[in-house]
Amino acid sequence: MLTLIRREIRDNIVYFIFAVVFSAILIALLTAATYNFDWGEPAVYVGLSIPILIILVLGFSAMGVTQMYMDRNRRISAFLSALPVTRSRILTARIVAGLLAILTVLVPLAIAAIVLGRLIAPPIPIFAGYIADILTTVFLMVLACYCLGLLTGWTANKITPTFGALGLNLVLVSLVFVKGFGPDINFLLLLVIVACLVRTWHKFMSTSL
Amino acid sequence: MNDNVIKVENLVKYFDGRCVLNGINLTVPRGCIYGLLGRNGAGKTTIIRILLGTEPATRGRTFLLDTESTNLSPAIRGRIGCVAEGHNLIQSYKVGRLIKLCKDLSLQWNDESFDHLIETFRLPMDRRVKDLSMGMRAQLNLSLAMAIDPELLILDDPTLGLDTVARRQFLELAIEVIQKQDRTILFCSHILSDVERIADRIGILAAGKLVVDCALEQLKERVKKLRVIFPESPPENLYLTEIINQQIQGREMTVTVANWNLQKQAILETFKPSSCTEVPMSMEDIFIECTKPEQEVVTSS
Repeated sequence: MLTLIRREIRDNIVYFIFAVVFSAILIALLTAATYNFDWGEPAVYVGLSIPILIILVLGFSAMGVTQMYMDRNRRISAFLSALPVTRSRILTARIVAGLLAILTVLVPLAIAAIVLGRLIAPPIPIFAGYIADILTTVFLMVLACYCLGLLTGWTANKITPTFGALGLNLVLVSLVFVKGFGPDINFLLLLVIVACLVRTWHKFMSTSL
Repeated sequence: MNDNVIKVENLVKYFDGRCVLNGINLTVPRGCIYGLLGRNGAGKTTIIRILLGTEPATRGRTFLLDTESTNLSPAIRGRIGCVAEGHNLIQSYKVGRLIKLCKDLSLQWNDESFDHLIETFRLPMDRRVKDLSMGMRAQLNLSLAMAIDPELLILDDPTLGLDTVARRQFLELAIEVIQKQDRTILFCSHILSDVERIADRIGILAAGKLVVDCALEQLKERVKKLRVIFPESPPENLYLTEIINQQIQGREMTVTVANWNLQKQAILETFKPSSCTEVPMSMEDIFIECTKPEQEVVTSS
């Protein structure tokens, strides 16, 4: 299994580099925002967070699409399944690699947020809860978009993965902006994640390689 | 434990409503080198893909090493070496990386045998697979399949796309490797001479059916082409079963019959032909006759 995970990481190293760079940019922005936080002008930071979130979501959705599309069109799983490997292991390794890439962005960001929160923020308990809510929702949203990428990427044509994933991601992001962060949207995102993973699993396990 | 390494039971496969395999039954005993022949698109690769579990069957069941193809565990897969049609390797990888990946994923790896093959083939480790010639890809694929010391080796048209020299070199090395170790081999090809060189049992697929399944040396004895001349016009029906092909020209009838025996000879003699001569048939003639539409099934008794 470790070999398969290593293979996935190496094949998608661009996304891991993107994750590291993006994490660094986000931490820098967070630090700047925390030190220069002006209660009168939160709109600047909200405005900045929208494109960041969209780039994050599209980046990981593209990773899911790339993993499945490349596999299908280069027949990587067809080759691997002639080795002592099962399809379930190939897909599990792929999802683990995706999760690791997402955590590469979010774990340093979460640590930075907690540290900055303790150093700078006023000692109000609701503040810590708010950070946790935002991080949980962002994590689930990025994961949901990644799973949508996996689902739409398993095809031979280029239009479905590109526009299918793009459209569905925009619907999800809009939903988060409308509903805001919190348990309601988290529940919805969890449903999307489970549905996408079940469908991807079924497609990957039952179709010709 | 069953002694059949490969077992196919009533296999049916449809692609978009088109029947590609129509009730195939096949067994390959341990230690046998089975040559599966058929024209392009006859369904050879489909059988192999179903056997390996990469393609679902419409009906029927297939078994490799006593395990149903749909449930092949990594432990079973580790005992099977496979050279796929078109040498479907990961094209973007460098040769060295591909070898390392296969080695890391395999359950056993014979370094000595693999290094010997790599040295023989002189494969460049630092080149990408997509930059290798078709011949080199075939050699790399065979080396990877052989490195795990497989109990069962499946070769799906391994010489496809190779020039004559590369094909001969590949086959000679394959024969050398096969002879060293007693293993079961399923060899698919549409090139008759390739199969004839290495197989000891032969199957011919045509129109979705296995029309021939017998030992190689039996094949020439079992399929006979006869030129029969009658005193008057030939009878409309010879009442012979398993006629593969029949042509009438004036008083002369040319008939190809499967599973020829004394009983069939006696039936033919009841028509009192003026003369009956056997037309010599090469393997290629038999293959062409068998792959014509509406053939009968030739099986070993």
